[in-house]
Parts: sequence; C-alpha cells; structure tokens
Amino acid sequence: MRWEQLLLDDAFTGGALAWVPGRTPHVGQLVYPVGGALDKLYFQEVNLTPNGDPQALGDPGHIQLRGPVRQVVTRTVQGECESLGYFPPLRLRPWLACCLTGPASLYPSALLAVRSDYHCALWKVSKQGHPAPLQVLQVGKGATGISLSPHLPGELAVCSRSGTVCLWTPQDGLQQVYKDPETLVFWDPSPWRWADFTAHPRVLTVGDRTGVKMIDTKGPPGCGLLLFRGGAEASCQKGERVLLTQYLGKCGPEPLLPTVHLICTQFSLYLMDERLPLVPMLKWDHGLPSAPLWAQLQPPPRPGHPQPLILGGQGGHLQLLHLTGEGASVPRLAGPPQSLPSSSDSLSAFPLLEPRSQWRLQERLKAPTIGLAATIPSSASKPVLSLFQLSAAGDVFYQRLHLQAEPGHHSRAPTASWTPQATACCSRWLKTLLEVPPTPPVWAAPTFSNRCLLNQVEPSKVEQKVPEGLRAAMAEGRLLQQRDLGSLPSAEPPPAPEPGPENELSARLEAAWEGRVAAWWEKQQGRSSGPRKPPKRHKRRTQLSSTFSSLSGRLDLSDATSPPHSPDRTSSEARPQPLATPPSQELTQELWAQGVPSERQQTLRDYMAKLPVQGDAPGEVSSSLSQSATPSWQQTLQGGATQLPPRRNPPRGAALPSSQTSSFQATPSRQQTPGLSGSQRHRKKPRMGF
Amino acid sequence: MSDFSEELVRSKTEDEQEESCMFSGTGMSFPWLQKHIETVATGGKKEKDFAQTTSACLSFIQEALLKHQWQQAAEYMHSYFQILEDSDSYKRQAAPEIIWKLGSEILFYHPKSNMETFNTFADRMKNIGVMNYLKISLQHVLYLLHHGMFEDANRNLSHAETWRYGEKSASQEVLINLIQAYKGLLQYYTWSKNKMELSRLDKEDYAYNTAFQNMLNHSGKMSVNLCTLIQTPGVWDPFVKSYVEMLEFYGDRDKAREVLTNYAYDEKFPSNPNAHIYLYNFLKREKAPREKLISVLKILYQIVPSHKLMLEFHRLLRKSEKEDHRKLALEVLFGVLDFAGCTKNITAWKYLAKYLRQTLMENHLAWVQEEWNSRKNWWPGFHFSFFWAKTNWKEDKALACEKALVAGILLGKGCRYFRYISKQDDQVIKKKIKRIKKSVKKYSIANPGL
Repeated sequence: MRWEQLLLDDAFTGGALAWVPGRTPHVGQLVYPVGGALDKLYFQEVNLTPNGDPQALGDPGHIQLRGPVRQVVTRTVQGECESLGYFPPLRLRPWLACCLTGPASLYPSALLAVRSDYHCALWKVSKQGHPAPLQVLQVGKGATGISLSPHLPGELAVCSRSGTVCLWTPQDGLQQVYKDPETLVFWDPSPWRWADFTAHPRVLTVGDRTGVKMIDTKGPPGCGLLLFRGGAEASCQKGERVLLTQYLGKCGPEPLLPTVHLICTQFSLYLMDERLPLVPMLKWDHGLPSAPLWAQLQPPPRPGHPQPLILGGQGGHLQLLHLTGEGASVPRLAGPPQSLPSSSDSLSAFPLLEPRSQWRLQERLKAPTIGLAATIPSSASKPVLSLFQLSAAGDVFYQRLHLQAEPGHHSRAPTASWTPQATACCSRWLKTLLEVPPTPPVWAAPTFSNRCLLNQVEPSKVEQKVPEGLRAAMAEGRLLQQRDLGSLPSAEPPPAPEPGPENELSARLEAAWEGRVAAWWEKQQGRSSGPRKPPKRHKRRTQLSSTFSSLSGRLDLSDATSPPHSPDRTSSEARPQPLATPPSQELTQELWAQGVPSERQQTLRDYMAKLPVQGDAPGEVSSSLSQSATPSWQQTLQGGATQLPPRRNPPRGAALPSSQTSSFQATPSRQQTPGLSGSQRHRKKPRMGF
Repeated sequence: MSDFSEELVRSKTEDEQEESCMFSGTGMSFPWLQKHIETVATGGKKEKDFAQTTSACLSFIQEALLKHQWQQAAEYMHSYFQILEDSDSYKRQAAPEIIWKLGSEILFYHPKSNMETFNTFADRMKNIGVMNYLKISLQHVLYLLHHGMFEDANRNLSHAETWRYGEKSASQEVLINLIQAYKGLLQYYTWSKNKMELSRLDKEDYAYNTAFQNMLNHSGKMSVNLCTLIQTPGVWDPFVKSYVEMLEFYGDRDKAREVLTNYAYDEKFPSNPNAHIYLYNFLKREKAPREKLISVLKILYQIVPSHKLMLEFHRLLRKSEKEDHRKLALEVLFGVLDFAGCTKNITAWKYLAKYLRQTLMENHLAWVQEEWNSRKNWWPGFHFSFFWAKTNWKEDKALACEKALVAGILLGKGCRYFRYISKQDDQVIKKKIKRIKKSVKKYSIANPGL
C-alpha cells in the first residue's frame, strides 16, 4: 500500500483547487486547502483584471476541517435550488469543526463539493461568495472521487475504495447505484474508483484502473455497457492503466461535445463517444513525464473556436490542446498540442541567490502539483485563459494565455514574460520564503522525483552550439555531456560512483586532497568518451538527413532565446550573434560524398540544389510572429497577503528536501545536474568537500 | 499503431518484464519512473552511453515539438537519424517508426517545409526496414489527400497495393485491405464526379455513352477494392456509404441490402449506430413496410435513444395498430427528453404534449404512470424548475407553452412551471394558455383523488 502510494499518489486525482465564478466574469473565488495538513479550506476572492495580473481582494475566508482536503469541485447552479436548505449530517459525527458562514442567500450561484480521505462535504456558495454548509457524508472505506451533476443541482456521485458508487443528494441522501469490489476488465489491485455523469442524467460512468463502464441507475444493478476497455480496441500498451476519466459535455450551457468523455492513462489520452462505446474517437500520446491527474475543458472563447483542454501532470507539467468537432463530426485536435511552462521553469526568472537559498527556492518550485483551475473571463478584447496551479507546498501559481483563433499551424514558439507586478510579487514571495528558517530535516520515506533527469537540461537555453554538440555525440555514439549542451564542462557534477574494482569516488577525493582535481577530471572526461566506433551504414542516415538539413541549418534566433525571459536581462545579452556560415550544411554535403555511390552523387546533388536555401532568412521567419499562446509568467498568489506560512509538516510523502537528496544519492546518475539555465548558467556549483 | 505497441512490448525480454513488474508491484507501468526502475533493476549499471545520448536526443525532439519549435526539432531530428546505426538491433528496428512519426509531424508544421520535402522523406522512410512500408504509404496518402493531391495519392496507393514482403501476415493483410479500400474511395470520388457530369448530359448525346462507360469502368474496380475491407469487423462508415451508393445506382438493391444488413447486424462488428441509420435510410428509400422500418429503429433506440431519428420512430409507432407499439411511442418520447442535449427540442415537447393527451384520452393512464414513476423524482428539477420556466419563457414562448402543458398533466396545476407560464399575461397566446389550462384540468394525472 505504502509502496504503491509512492509510485503513484492518486489521492489528489481531480485536483484540490477550484474556481468559483463570482458576480462579474472577472471576479471569482479560488478555493483550495492550506496548512501543513491541508485541513484549512481557503476562499480567496480574486479579481482578474483584463490586461493585468490577478489581484487578491482582501484576506481569504477559511473553514477549518478535520481532515486533509483531496479534491475540490464546483459547479454553477442553473437556476434555483431553494430546496437545498441545511441538512443534518448523514452520520452524526461533526467533521466541520467551525464554519465561517455569511448570510444564507436564496440564490446561490454555485455548489462546492469537497472530498477528504473519509469524508465528503457539500456547500453552496452565494452570489456574495459566502459558503453555507449543506451536508457532510462519512465514507468508511475511504472516498476516491466525487463529482457534481451538470444536470441536476445538488446531485453528486461519490465512489469509495470498496468499489461502491452512490448518488448523493442532500434531500434524499444516498442511493447506491453500483457495487463491485472487483475491477471491470481484468484484475488490478488498485482500489481507486471514479464516477462521473453522462449526457443522460440517470446514467453514470464508473471507472477503475482497467476500464470505464456506463451504468443506468434506473436499471437493474450490475448491468451496463463498457465505454472504455484497456486492451486491443484502444491499442493500449502493456501496463497501461486509466488514471483519470472525465465527462466533457458538462462544459457550458450548450456543450459542443455533449456525448464525449476524456480518458487519460500514463501514455495517452482518449476521447470516447458514449454512443459508440469502445472505439476511441481520438487517441493521442501525451508523453507527460508525470501522472496526468487533472484535466480542464473550457468553453470556446468565441463561438466557432475550438475548446481549450488543459492537461496537468503531478510534476507540474501542463499541456494545452484544442478540441473541435461540432454536431455530427468526430472530435479532433485543432493544431498541434503544446506544452505550457511549469512552475519549476520559472527558476531562471528569479535573481541569482546564494547556493543554499537557490536550492531552497528550487525545491519549493519543484513541489508536486495538487490542483489545477482555469477560467476564460469573457471580455471584449482578445480571449485570455487564466490558469491557476496549486502546489503541495501551498503556493498558487498563475499564468495567462492569449488564445488565438487558429491554434498554431505555422505559429511560432510561445514566448513568456513576467509583468512588472508579477516580478514584484515574486520577489516579495521569495523574500518571505527565505526569511523562514530552514526546517530541520524530518525523516520521510525516500521519494522518487518525478522529474526526468534529462529534462533538467533545458533545451530552450541552447544556442548554436547545442545541436552540433548533440550531433557529434550521436555520430560518435558517446555519452552526451554537459559541454555538448553549451555550458562549461566544470558545471557538470562529477559522475556518481560506480560499483566495481575501481573506486572513482575515493580516487577523486584523493586527487582533490592533492590538488589535482582538474587533471583527474580531464582524465574522466576523456575516458567517458571512449573509443569511437567506426561509422557504418551511412547511406540511410544521410539520405534522411538531407530532408531535414534543408530545414534545420541555422537556428532561428528568437527560438534560441529561452522562453522565460528573465525580467532583468537585457535583450542584447539574450540574443547571441549568429554565426557567419551555417555549419550543418557543410556537414551534410560532406556526408553525401561518403555514403552515396559515386554514380548517384550527381542526382542527389541536383536534388539538394532544389531544396530551399537554408541560410536565407532567419529574420524573415521571426518577423511573422503569431504566437498561439503567450503565457505570461507565473506569479505566486499567496493568500492575498505576503505572509507565507512555513510548511513544517508537508502532507504525505511530498518531496522533502532531505529525503530527495538521500534518494538521489542512492541512484547513481546525473540527477544532481543542476537545471542551470539563463543567467545562472555560468555559475560554478560548489562541489562537495572542496 | 497497435502493432507498434505490441512490438514494443514483445521485444522486451522476459527478464526485464519480470523485473519491472516486481518493481511496480502491480503490473502498472510508470513511464516516468522507468529510468529509475531500470537503474535499480540493473544493480546501478547505467545504460550504454549511446543509448543515453539517443534517449536524450529523443526527449529534446519531443520537447521541441510540444513547444512548437519546429526548427529546433528539425535540428535534433537531423542528429537522431544516427540511431539507425545503433548496435542494439531492437532499438534499430523500432527507430524507423519513431523517426517517421516525429519527422512527419515536424515536416507537417515546419514553416520551410513543402510538399516535395515531405514526399522525399516519406519515400525514403518507406524503404528503411520492410515493416513500415504499408503503414507509411497509407499515412503518406492521407497527407496527399489532405493537400488535395488526388492523382499522387492514387499512384502511391497503387504502388503500395502491389507491394509484398515475405508471407502475408495478418497485420499486413488488414493494411492491404485498407489501402485497397482507400483506392476504392478515390475511385468513388471520380465515379461520383462522372455521375454529376452524366446528369447534365442528354441521354441521346454521344458523350453520354462514353461517360456512362467510364463510370462503369470505375465502379467495377471500386467494388473489388471496397468489398474485402467492409467484410472485416470494424467501423467503415465512409466506405460502406459510397459502396452502397454505387450499388444502388446500378440497381443492385439486393447486394446493397446485404452489405448494409451485414454491417448493422453482424455481431463481430462493434455496435455502431451509423450502421443502423444507413440501413434505415436505405429501407426508407426502398419504401419498405412500416414493420420493417420499426424493427430497424428499435435497435437504434436501444443504442442511441437521443438520436433525432427517434422522433420519426415515434411517428411510425404512433400510426401502428399494435398496442405495444403505441406504448413504445410514449416511451421513446420520454427517452428523447431524458437527454441533456434535447431539453430544448420543441418538436419533441410538442409530440409529447399531444401524445400524452391522446394516450390519456384512450384510457392508458398506466402507460403514462409507468414512464413517469421512474422520472418523477428528477424531471421536476431537470425540466420544470422555476428557473427553466423563466428562461424558456424568455427565449421561446412556444416551447414554454408545450412544456407547461406537459408539466401540468404530469405534475398537476400546482407545479411551479405551469403556474409561472399560466400567469403570464400575453395577448398573443392568451387563447393557447387557456386551452392548456383546460387540458390540464381534464387530463392531469397528479393526485387524481383530489
């Protein structure tokens, strides 16, 4: 159980952050848990100014609960729910310790459902923004998912670890609609269950790790139709499991996709139509480097535009997709999906700190995500998507995306920037963060970092040198080294010790004591490059290379600059001068001659001549700037005030600094390679013991 | 796609699979932990240098693609070709598919890419390793069709069709069938263009005969090409549709009926509502007896009770002499209005209002009660809330009136929806409201004792 939790912590599936729309489109409330135990539910009113950064309005109201909040869901109520007065708890055990309630309004604008480990609770939020409790439910076996009906105000679906799914309304209480301790398609030990609604208000989807089934609550128990099966129909991979299922038709009053369900696994996302079960309408390999546990479909920013779908991974990774397909047509992706900057990408935008503080900042930014909320405040000007991300450390990150009518066919890489307000806010946040004395190391089970080690080498920071270095490394079949990626070789930490007759660590320490560490390092570097393999089978590769060499050639300059512009960096620094000759063409020409029979070289040369001239205009391309999304950099929104609660007791196995180090040392690899980027690139990291 | 993942899975050695199962504990795989797990599994021994470099390169490409940095992705791709020389034979074999997938995506979006580049790339990729020839050919054809290059697409299909490697495997056969079917689809395109021309020509015209002969030529090839695919289980809507259209044009109704019936009723095929819709439309054109039409729509009703043909189904059932059909007619209407997407369908509400009155007039109160019992606890909130009364009245008065009548009959004149609408003082539909009030008084099933 513990081990499984370490591999995949699914407690926060669905996300613990919600946006409750308020009086006007630009004002709303963020609802999220805070505190070390995540047992305090905050209601922070936020004003999304059309062109600026969000402003926290006043101090957040809060509700103290007796348990950690795992999931927060909200839904605007169409019409009255006068029938929803206060109802006594279903089991007599107070879970809400004390409540901050405003005057109960007759016209609540939203319902708010919260899932804890063993309790679920429902509030109504009035137009004034005051939450009033409706009912609390105790789930003995542990709740795993909660969803609010898009059709009937106050109706919920709750599922528990025992395999039970219940419809829950405050008026009528609980109605068990499904119970099966076994998994749907094949045996899987995970007790995780999920339930959501469909286009028919009486039909629910029930999901577990192996598949998703549609069940009619009116029909006899046990019957139903499989909507998704982990298997051949969806051409699933071995070990592929369902991580999230979501009904997409509930978005907006006139949904474009009224019968479509989203299903996410570790590898892919699937769109399923409930009218044509088992045959995916769309499959796309998301390639997220962490578990996708959150998805947010937004209504189209304008009529006729595609609907933005944001997919969030536990490690803070975000992807933006655009779905279209109205009426009878099949849902499809409009334009290529896009990855959005994650909170840890913003490290380079902070000023350079002393190593210890830098490390603390880095750890803080790397804290896993536990919630995602998005909204598109309708405004007269360009549509803007506001995105909030809650981290396990208690920070809320914000980014704003300008949506384009036609998501990027020939769009260029998005650029990201910090507004001055954001910079100010972040530096306040950083100051408070560093004022807090470092927490004494608390023992925790070693955790795996979700960050793939190679992703730490920021490719966006690369300059002309990188592809060349990479190409050379590939050609020689040797290990890709830090220096190939354009930074100083000394920035790379020494390789971790390898078991074997030769103890590298002691050799290095010995060398260091004698002051010969540089020489030792040289030697190591030389060894790791190893004997060069003679190149074979040039032909295939060079033929292919020719296709791409026409396209690669010179890097576009604006591509090479890093997306998160450091606010204090001047533009001249950020843009390296272009090299006079594009070296890649020369390289390929040379390879031509090697790999191709001489009688065919002329033909190929003719072919090469027809390819677009590569050096032709880097400026020409960069002039057609049409960003499909322009994320403006995250800023932290900390409870309206600058005060930052120190987290002494992080909830469950959240990455604790001390534990991470220990786990890193246990697995010898280059994980300690600092994610050097931007202005920090040239800083030498102090090495242990020297 | 499926083959690829199978290959991926298969090629892992048994030991590796056991190891990763042991470490994941559940059989679930964690792509993001794979590196750590492999390191642990191999006792700290790292992958070979080249393997590390290639996987780094691959992740650079993927990242660049997700950031829409096509130029950079192309750069990295240029380096990635080196993997074709990997000494690990499994990786070498898996590489062409990865290169094709990523490379074609880059070339599709790259600002400097053009048709010629893409074609060259595709042609070369087809011949690297024999396993991918058919798949790449098919995707290349789709690319060409997307750009309107019908002739090139056709030529490519013809090449692919005659391509053979070793013994025909099952996966190859499916692909060849698909390739032939796409060829058939292109022939259908030409055929229907000819058909359009033909309709403009005079029968006495000399050109008529030539055009007709032309069409006939195409149709013969087309039926050969389409036939095999649509007999394999799957969802083949466009292929089936065009094949049937051609068969119908030449008067081969029996064959067309056979194809459609097989497509709809063969149990090996996935349940596909479109199959039943095609069959129904065909039978309707054929002027099939009502009984037959009803039996087809009955199955569609079970699959998609919210389909717009359900209103037609209701009309057919309403006219039937059989009692159970007339009962089903009521059930169908309730079924349509259960769905969130149909709540504002005025025709459905109109039919329900009318049919409720008719049913009650014929003294079938039990039918109505049977339908209403399973809905009485959620329809009031779903359809007949105060909010909907206000909204419907504001948006569509005719709809509001029909709904008010239904609400009155089902819930009695005390219900909020009916009360709100009946209180409206609107000169234009004053008469209508009066009629509604009268009907409600006469037929309401709510509290019949009172």
